[in-house]
Amino acid sequence: MADNDIILDVRSISKHFGALKAVDKVSFQARKGEIVGLIGPNGAGKTTITNLVTGELRKTEGEVYFKGINVSRMQPFQIARIGLTRTYQVVKPLQGMTVEENILVGSLFGRSDRQNDLNHAKKTAHEIMELVGLDKKKEFKVSDVTLPDLKRMEFARVLAMDPEVIFLDEVMAGLNPSEVEESMELVKNIRTEKQLTIVYIEHIMKAVMGISDRIIVLHHGQKICEGSPTEVCDNPAVIEAYLGKKYAKEVIKS
Amino acid sequence: MVTQDDNKFNKNIILIIAAVIIFIFLPNFISGYYIRIFTAIFMYATISQCINLMSGYMGYLPFGHVMFFGIGAYMSAILMKLGLPVFIAIPMACLSAIIVSIILGFPVLRLRGHYFAIATIGMNGAIMTVVQNATEITGGARGTTFPIIMASPDVVYRYFYLAMLSLMVITSLVMHVVVNSKFGYGIRSIKANEDAANSMGINTTFTKVTTWAIAALFTSIAGGIYGYWMSFIAPDEVFDLMFITNSIIMMLIGGAGTILGPIFGAFIVETVSEVAWSGFMQYHLAALGIATIVIVFFVPRGVIGTITDKIRNRRIELSKKAEVTNG
Repeated sequence: MADNDIILDVRSISKHFGALKAVDKVSFQARKGEIVGLIGPNGAGKTTITNLVTGELRKTEGEVYFKGINVSRMQPFQIARIGLTRTYQVVKPLQGMTVEENILVGSLFGRSDRQNDLNHAKKTAHEIMELVGLDKKKEFKVSDVTLPDLKRMEFARVLAMDPEVIFLDEVMAGLNPSEVEESMELVKNIRTEKQLTIVYIEHIMKAVMGISDRIIVLHHGQKICEGSPTEVCDNPAVIEAYLGKKYAKEVIKS
Repeated sequence: MVTQDDNKFNKNIILIIAAVIIFIFLPNFISGYYIRIFTAIFMYATISQCINLMSGYMGYLPFGHVMFFGIGAYMSAILMKLGLPVFIAIPMACLSAIIVSIILGFPVLRLRGHYFAIATIGMNGAIMTVVQNATEITGGARGTTFPIIMASPDVVYRYFYLAMLSLMVITSLVMHVVVNSKFGYGIRSIKANEDAANSMGINTTFTKVTTWAIAALFTSIAGGIYGYWMSFIAPDEVFDLMFITNSIIMMLIGGAGTILGPIFGAFIVETVSEVAWSGFMQYHLAALGIATIVIVFFVPRGVIGTITDKIRNRRIELSKKAEVTNG
């Protein structure tokens, strides 16, 4: 738990939309190579936190440090270039392009401290497509592939950027159980292979519990609990706000 | 597979070079009337190419883009009246157009979609009003003249024919290089999804302003050559939005988001409109309008776009078939 392991340090960030406190003084940290689960009921502020950290929304207050650099005032593209990036809950594919081109854009523009001319980026894109199993669909336009493939493509696009921290915003929403299983395997494998730090936002409890090292629970924009998956399931406030009594027991049993 | 693609690529290059050579020698065989029509086609193709970069590739329709055409024409006229030769006057004119595009680009390119289109129309109007009222410099609403070229009309026609032809070829080559570079992927990502592009590490503001500057560069050169060709220009002529409307129609008919599209579109529209103009004068605009609506509804990707789509789909189907037979 040495301090220099902490790669992402979120210090008391808030976002107020008028009188509504969408995110209220939330602080958390993520260590290198860790998977942090971020859960909470709808409207708890999970996606807003993602938008605040990646610079897409302006913070009302608070600061974000990434690798010791204060990124609070930076633009999204600047933050992405130093290795902090995200996927979208509602997929945002680059329309009109092929799957291959989408991933290529990620590897072309991702990190600025790396060699990323066209040939090099193409090689990276091909490696990533093989890794996530998209190489057979590379010539398809994004409008011609299924939602699970689009989610996979978004994940591949983010990986192609060669990041150090990824916010995965509900990458499994809309997938069927076997696809969830597949996706979990994929995330785990890639974490170990690439030494990634992942902030994992998800409603599918089985996935979050199975994958996270640590879980943060949000409710009404505030952090109500933080701890290991079992600790979180035992916490009365979390059961009250989100899990429900019956479910908590089931999770603890399994 | 690779060699097949290479062969096709080489064949395309040979075809394009052959076409350019034919056009270089074409004026020897046709009359002055047709030389003028071809010169206009090359000019429209150039402007349409610039619109295509902004709209077809980046998704920002610059309706008031004709302001750079006007700036190019007027700056060339003013500088040439001061005694500068044409080869210095036009580059300086296009430099001023680039500066204007950068200054205007930072605020205006924050707007998206229709708001951007409307804002550029407003700026075009503002610049036109300035030109109309700065009588001492620009000659005001009555227009201004270029120095007259001392040569026979035949030679002059050919001179501008070749100038516009080379401008079109150079513009198309530059556009081809730009859209296939790393920067080009940035441009296309902005059209596809600007927020996603930004979060993927693309500096969207820089990309948008630079793209607009490239489009302004070639449009202003076209304006300079046009002014010298006509030898007389007036504000309501070179700042006329019809230039852009025509170029947009050409881009749509030829195929937005393709390099050959605007060129084919310019040929088709100018030929049709020339026939319509001589045949039924009063309906010619209506014919263009109806043609545009039909194209947008039934062939939204344009002539070239539809053809390339067909080729691509066939290739995917073939590869699928190959997979089935192999597996």
